[in-house]
Amino acid sequence: MFPKSSLVKIHEWLWEIPKSYREDMRVPARVYASDRMLDQISTDRSLEQLVNVATLPGIVGHALSMPDIHEGYGFPVGGVAAFDAEDGVISPGGIGYDINCGVRLLCAEVPLSVIQSHLAELGSALYREVPSGVGQGGRLTMKGKDLDGVLEGGAGRLVELGYGDEADLQRIESQGTLEQASAGLVSQHAKDRGRDQLGTMGAGNHFVEVGVVERIYDDAEAKRLGLFLEQVTVLIHTGSRGLGHQVATDYIREMGRAMPRHGITLPDPQLACTPFASREGQEYFQAMSAGANFAWANRQLITWEVRKAWQDVLGAAGGSLRLVYDVAHNIAKIEEYRVGPVSKRMVIHRKGATRSFPNQPVLVPGSMGTRSFLLLGQEKAMSESFGSSCHGAGRRMSRTRAKKEIQGAELKRRLTAQGIVMNVGKLSALAEEAPEAYKDVDEVVEVIHQAGIAKKVAHFRPVAVIKG
Amino acid sequence: MPYTILEHTADVRLLVEGRTLGELFAEALRGMMEVLKPEGKEDAAETRRRIQLEAASRTALLVDFLNEALCLAETHREAYAEVTFESISETRVDAVLRGRAVESFGEDVKAVTYHEAEIRETGEGKLETKLVLDI
Repeated sequence: MFPKSSLVKIHEWLWEIPKSYREDMRVPARVYASDRMLDQISTDRSLEQLVNVATLPGIVGHALSMPDIHEGYGFPVGGVAAFDAEDGVISPGGIGYDINCGVRLLCAEVPLSVIQSHLAELGSALYREVPSGVGQGGRLTMKGKDLDGVLEGGAGRLVELGYGDEADLQRIESQGTLEQASAGLVSQHAKDRGRDQLGTMGAGNHFVEVGVVERIYDDAEAKRLGLFLEQVTVLIHTGSRGLGHQVATDYIREMGRAMPRHGITLPDPQLACTPFASREGQEYFQAMSAGANFAWANRQLITWEVRKAWQDVLGAAGGSLRLVYDVAHNIAKIEEYRVGPVSKRMVIHRKGATRSFPNQPVLVPGSMGTRSFLLLGQEKAMSESFGSSCHGAGRRMSRTRAKKEIQGAELKRRLTAQGIVMNVGKLSALAEEAPEAYKDVDEVVEVIHQAGIAKKVAHFRPVAVIKG
Repeated sequence: MPYTILEHTADVRLLVEGRTLGELFAEALRGMMEVLKPEGKEDAAETRRRIQLEAASRTALLVDFLNEALCLAETHREAYAEVTFESISETRVDAVLRGRAVESFGEDVKAVTYHEAEIRETGEGKLETKLVLDI
């Protein structure tokens, strides 16, 4: 339990843990939350973990957390930290094992009424076309130079291979490719682990969800993005699969071993880091970028699979599925921000947080069966939150407790009764992702909207859920 | 109780016990395999995989050992029920995993983390550590 009395109110939606809270803090820590949410946030170890982040060498400004913050390992989930690119560190734990886990939103040309009678068939087709990958592998098995091409080319390489078009790339964060990626710095272990996982969603909280635009908050922006009421949407949530997990595992171990050489001691070994400019720092950054490219390629192939299922079931009547946007929420990026009178290059760590540049779409999926939001980044994010926003509802209940309190079969019945088509592989795992296990996404988004770092444009309600 | 699954908001926290380092490693492996929920292929032939590792401490050695086993399990789609140690010390392990091919895993364990991991003596002649698994 974090002492709430240690938090200072900056404004209605932002709180600060002063540097004086713990001797080893280099900067204060800040939390975006409502007063009510803070009570819940204070119950687990997430704020202590945020304080640990504030101790890392070269951290600039504040260690930040978004309202969907929850306990992780090392960094909290929902955390943002900026490190000076010249004398700060890079920490693989601040990006997480699922490098470039992220969300992609597609939108149809048609309203729900056109596909309603085919929804059950569409759910089954999506379940068939987008494998979970925890059993059989995906449709592409890649090794050697082919896999290296994906690791260095990202979504662009998949488009070259015919799995999408150029227009898709223009609507992906960083156009779906980080150029500094080096396949040679990704271990054979990682390549073996991911060789048949392209085009697979994985288990846990990953999903494909068909939705419908239920409410528009900003007509002009919705129109600019091509959204209209009752329009069908598809959300894809997954990351870099086993390949990314292994890249993180390899480099966290490597950095743990290198830290004594760099004279770094930490309150938690999971925060393992080295100077960004060091050999280890640079190698991790290039390997992580390759992992991020693999994730963008994965979401690109899943998009192709979704389009195939859509076409197979609906034919010409369904029209096409256009990519609205794709954001990463576990990543490190080099970005420039003003600190006092000067602009500085920084290594921005986002772990369970989304880039929120002015006028850039920010995708915030709710928990299973609840609404998801499309926000638009605002100028204030650049001066206050290192161009970052929240990434989802954020867990509040442990998986063990969720399984004790909720039956998978009962949950499936309940969501089906709400009119949601459910195509789910393992009922036992379903309970872990129950809406009750998560915070209220409306409340999370409201904090972000009111704080002014991103604004609400539209929300979607789910009509079909596809999970491994 | 050789291993227990404890509460964690997002991931899985295990408490593992053993009378010896080898027993602790074996119980941690069993705990991780339970979390993975392997399914199917009861009649598959036994497979063996060797793990040889060095680390700076026994705790780092355990975490690295489990991550290596996890990588082998996911790469080869196998679950390991038993482990025998050719040798094990505070900083080195040479082990053979024995297991079988599986149809699928019910859970996607991304990694075993160093967070909260610390092997210590319990005072009852046992070794104990917590382990947080990212899922």
